[in-house]
Amino acid sequence: MSFLSEVRLEDQFGPFVMFQEALGFVPNLVRAQTLLPRVVEAQAKLERAIRLHEGAIPRVQRERILLSVAADRHDAYCVALDSKVLSSLGVSDSEVHDLLNDSRHADLSASDFALLQFCLKLSRYAPSVRSEDIEALRACGFDDESILEAVVVTALAIYRCTLSVGLGPEPDFGSRNLASTKTYPPHDRALPGLLPHIHEAARRKGPYVPAPYLSPQTFAPFSVVRKSHGFIPNFFRAQTLRPDLLEAELEAVDRILLPEDALTRVQKECILLAVSAANLNSYCVAVHCNMLRGLGMPSEDGDQIAVNHHESGLTEPDKALLDFAVKLGTGVSEFSREDVVKLQVLGFSEKQILECEVVTALNNFANTLQMGIGIEPDFEPPSIFEENKVNLPGTTQTPIQAGGAVRLVETLQDADAGLVAQAQSGELEAFEALVRRHTQLIYRTLTAILGNPAEAQDAMQDTLLSAFKHIGGFQGRSKFSTWFVSIARNTALKRLRRGKLFESLDEDEYDEERESRPRQVRAWQDNPEQCCSKSEMRQLVEKGILTLPANYRVVVILRDIQQLSADEVARQLGLSVPAVKTRLLRGRLMLREWLSPYFTTSAKGIAQ
Amino acid sequence: MITCEEFLAEIGDYLENEVSPEVRKELELHLAQCRACHVLYDSTRKTIKIVTESSSFELPESVSDPIIDRVMAKLRTDQNEHG
Repeated sequence: MSFLSEVRLEDQFGPFVMFQEALGFVPNLVRAQTLLPRVVEAQAKLERAIRLHEGAIPRVQRERILLSVAADRHDAYCVALDSKVLSSLGVSDSEVHDLLNDSRHADLSASDFALLQFCLKLSRYAPSVRSEDIEALRACGFDDESILEAVVVTALAIYRCTLSVGLGPEPDFGSRNLASTKTYPPHDRALPGLLPHIHEAARRKGPYVPAPYLSPQTFAPFSVVRKSHGFIPNFFRAQTLRPDLLEAELEAVDRILLPEDALTRVQKECILLAVSAANLNSYCVAVHCNMLRGLGMPSEDGDQIAVNHHESGLTEPDKALLDFAVKLGTGVSEFSREDVVKLQVLGFSEKQILECEVVTALNNFANTLQMGIGIEPDFEPPSIFEENKVNLPGTTQTPIQAGGAVRLVETLQDADAGLVAQAQSGELEAFEALVRRHTQLIYRTLTAILGNPAEAQDAMQDTLLSAFKHIGGFQGRSKFSTWFVSIARNTALKRLRRGKLFESLDEDEYDEERESRPRQVRAWQDNPEQCCSKSEMRQLVEKGILTLPANYRVVVILRDIQQLSADEVARQLGLSVPAVKTRLLRGRLMLREWLSPYFTTSAKGIAQ
Repeated sequence: MITCEEFLAEIGDYLENEVSPEVRKELELHLAQCRACHVLYDSTRKTIKIVTESSSFELPESVSDPIIDRVMAKLRTDQNEHG
């Protein structure tokens, strides 16, 4: 028995048939997840594509990677299972023994040995992997597909090990091979030669393997992702060299993350965020901060979870859930049945605990893969997170443990902080200075929402009075300017409601495809900005922008006129970055249509 | 070569210079051969330039100063009244 109950599923259950055919049995690790058959399916999809199907690296070599990673992590369950599988593929007992003890003695070619060393480095301390490691593999003769595959196999090994620690399945076999586990070198992240140059500025940018263009029109999983995520994350774009692996990963992600029959989507994103942060994966931190924002969580709450979830506004049980996930996901301290019991006492069901473990395993899969092929970020991580990169190689401290109670409020850099503190203690001069510093931002926010400059001027006074009235309640959980904009937004929205002019700022779905489809296809002049005076141009642009639907107008004004970054606009409007980008593009395309008659080569100019 | 639909799906990231080298190559290949998409891309790029350089919706100090002065005067009065 594992830590959780098992459910009897019929022998015809697809994943069981697959494991039975491939391995000759259904591993207890798989049976331990039968409370949620969909997560069993997810693992089966991953194993079939990554481990069992023919790939770029021979099957035996892939099994060696799985075994070596399991051995390096002292995972007795996976070691026993994977040794058995290797033996069944004709590998001698003595080679298995050597792999478990010291792979230098195993009968491996130099290149196979180098590949194993790379995978172990990735498994032990993923942030230390650099483009040079990939170059070294190329020098050994590995092609891009093999390198990508080795990274994905390592990620699968870590997925399985995370589950094995969390579920505590009974071994499938006797401990014949386990005797030798005693002689592993100590699990030491600070091995010489492994030490990373994480902060090296010269580090070559990823991705380390080429990513050919893959069309969402021909590769259906991409159009599904675009629908479910609102964009195609670089995480998936970077793996297009192997659509087969990509498809399996996307199917697994769908089965693990999308259903809400155990944990909610928000809980799962919180787990992904907290564990990625503990693993120092700023790529995944940025993605999940954005996903949470897209699910309606205020950006400062997401940032706080990334830095230290104990100081966040989550409920106590949810904090305990994240503690559990971080402990399992980082492996920095011994995990046991006790940890599972603690969550049960707090009211979590076995299904929820199982799902938390699977989400954690998926997170580690993603963290490993991202660092292994150097996937470039889609978004900026919260700045506070980058500054808090306190995890040094050779220590097992994570930001969460090292920082103790790190709170955003103490560490967020904000040029306004000094003036804000003075204004909060009633100093009117300080408040006035803040107002003058942000006048244009506030005015443009009001204009953007109200769609009318005269109304916006009118609303300035109310906004400033309201800001002064509430400034005592500003806690510094976001930048002051973000807070100030939110005051302006509320003031403007109140006015809109009062005037019954309410035009929804959130509606995104009104025939948008047709709205943004190009109609004007006549070419524009070379230098349209030279065809009229600056003030004429400004009037034209203002007029055009005011014709846009409210939700596009707001984004265009804040991004293109006020020139905030997409991330700042997203924070100020409580949207995800992809949502901002979509609205921005549609707004720009509509504006292009509107401006076209003035600037095509045959246009008579602005005075027509 | 990619289709116009596919080009349109990437144009947002392309305008923001946020596509991978491989995707960029496909897009530029398409642009070189498709007049309609080229016009769309070129005019949208020009639109962005015009809009970002327009200094639109700038509140002149002659308008903002009296508003701010009025607010500050009111706040000072309130502060004096309530100690």
